[in-house]
Amino acid sequence: MNDRTLVRGLFLVAISLAFGLQALRYPFGSFSHAGAGLFPSLVSGLLLLIGLATVARSRFEKAVPLEFHPKNIAIILASLCGFAVISAYVNMIAGIAFMVFFSSLAGTSYSIARCLKVTAGLIAVAFAFQKLLGFNLPLY
Amino acid sequence: MDVLHNLAFGFEHALTWQNLLFCAIGCTVGTLVGLLPGLGPLATISILLPLTYSIPTTGALIMLAGIYYGAQYGDSVSAITMKIPHASSIVACIDGYQMTLQGRTGLALFTAGVSSFIGGTVAIVVLSFFAPMLGEVAFLFGPADYCALMLVGFVCVSFVTTGSLLNGMAMCLIGVLLGQIGTDVTSGMQRFTLNLDFLVDGIGLVSIALGCFGIAEITKNLDNRDERTPFNGKINLIPTWPEFKRIIPSALRGSAIGSFLGILPGGGPVIAQFAAYAVDKKFSKYKDEIGSGAIEGVAGQAAADEAAARTSFIPLMSIGIPENAVMALMMAAFIIKGIQPGPNMIAGHPDLFWGLVASMWIGNCFLLILNVPMVRYWLSVFKIPYGVLFPSILFFCCVGTFSVNNNLSDIYTTATFGFIGYMFLRLDLDAAPLMLGFILGPMLEENFRRALLISRGSFAAFFLRPISGTLLALIGAFVVWQLAAFFLKARRGAPDPSLVPPAAQGAE
Repeated sequence: MNDRTLVRGLFLVAISLAFGLQALRYPFGSFSHAGAGLFPSLVSGLLLLIGLATVARSRFEKAVPLEFHPKNIAIILASLCGFAVISAYVNMIAGIAFMVFFSSLAGTSYSIARCLKVTAGLIAVAFAFQKLLGFNLPLY
Repeated sequence: MDVLHNLAFGFEHALTWQNLLFCAIGCTVGTLVGLLPGLGPLATISILLPLTYSIPTTGALIMLAGIYYGAQYGDSVSAITMKIPHASSIVACIDGYQMTLQGRTGLALFTAGVSSFIGGTVAIVVLSFFAPMLGEVAFLFGPADYCALMLVGFVCVSFVTTGSLLNGMAMCLIGVLLGQIGTDVTSGMQRFTLNLDFLVDGIGLVSIALGCFGIAEITKNLDNRDERTPFNGKINLIPTWPEFKRIIPSALRGSAIGSFLGILPGGGPVIAQFAAYAVDKKFSKYKDEIGSGAIEGVAGQAAADEAAARTSFIPLMSIGIPENAVMALMMAAFIIKGIQPGPNMIAGHPDLFWGLVASMWIGNCFLLILNVPMVRYWLSVFKIPYGVLFPSILFFCCVGTFSVNNNLSDIYTTATFGFIGYMFLRLDLDAAPLMLGFILGPMLEENFRRALLISRGSFAAFFLRPISGTLLALIGAFVVWQLAAFFLKARRGAPDPSLVPPAAQGAE
């Protein structure tokens, strides 16, 4: 099952079905007066064909295992969401500090001094954006 | 003479202090981006797109264009000195890095810089003459022709970017489907919104671009855990006269090839540099040396790379159809600034069009200075550890997303597309065609529906019109060629026993 081409094909089939089945619920109209559902149904149908062709192709190709490293993507996504939550409930300076310190866990090495310097630099850049470019950043 | 008059008019606009500053910023950021592995022009333009909201239109577009063509200059430096290629500098790794191994790094860098300058200059001449001419032709296009042209773009970009027509087309179609989310402008019906209010206006371009290119690229680089060794060799930039003479013919050949291939749908720097290298290997006076550190191996491809980057603006500005993902983002930047690229753009906004063309030549001069005499200082960029770089890029992604609507919730959308983009990367699906599909999707649907309305529901309109018929025939021929190549390969290759299902093995 750990075959990248097969997973890719199934992924494409899933996307095409997600859009295609929903599109079938919209009015089709006629070709001369196309409804909201006609074009997305055609596109989903084409994507479904490509997905099925990819699944079929996986039977003829040597299986390449799908590599997936959940740790780094989880850290990065948590940093982004944490930045948004802290910026909303505290302020953006705290959000920047959280993002730098937490996302650095995904790096090859971790240094508190480096994180402090990067945080200070980014806060300075954020102030520059606010004062010079007129960005409406909730910094404090 | 009209062109000279128009260029003079363009220089009037480009040579203001403000536009010179934006051009210099664009070229500097572009060179930096070109140097740094893992951060291409696509990701950078995505990150900086929201920052241009508060910048005047001409300045913003001059800066974004500078990032794109500046990155083409910069990426050959990392390829020559450390054999770190970007998509558009793979060929520079061959002879360029060989010259570094021979202790001729300075000559290779000088050759790349000067050839890029020549390529850029030739391309600007081509741009000045051809864009208005092509703009006239674009008035002949009807809705069916636009549909066919967009499909040609999808097919070419899919094949050139990913190398697999199937994967690339799948990404284009996913992009088109994502572009359907929101309110249907013809019927007013909400589509694929899942009853969520924030999806009524559709998904933001910036969220998709930053998620798929910014966040996903960062994570991929972190997964790879590559450590770079900075270049510490000596650089002697001044060539001898015989060496300099060898640069010119190859650079001019590369400029012509790059200028031509840059205009074609799906064309651009990647395909142009390979074509120029192949032509040099066939026709150069020193063809036997190419591959083992020849000046011609660097000059031709560098000129073609830069020329194609400039001429790829021609289809966007004259027909209104971007030919690759970066141009699709540039199109988004034009639209954000209230300008619809297309045949009316040159007549409607001559200050912007000719100002942009003139700024390209000014940018060319900036880049020559940045990349030849100052190249040794740029190499210190490689000393920045990725541990410092990636939190900074994340910060720019967050600020970029937030500043579109001043809404922190948009960061969750970017994070979602970051995950989806990461999945695409892991599944070996390139996100570049997705951007093209996303931006062209609504246009494709509009023209598709309009063409059918005009023809009273008959699909024959797509095949009977000379332009769309020819373009669709080209697509058909390409698909047949791909299928024939696949089946021939399958027939020639002996079946791998490991691929035969166990049941079939048993039956035998």
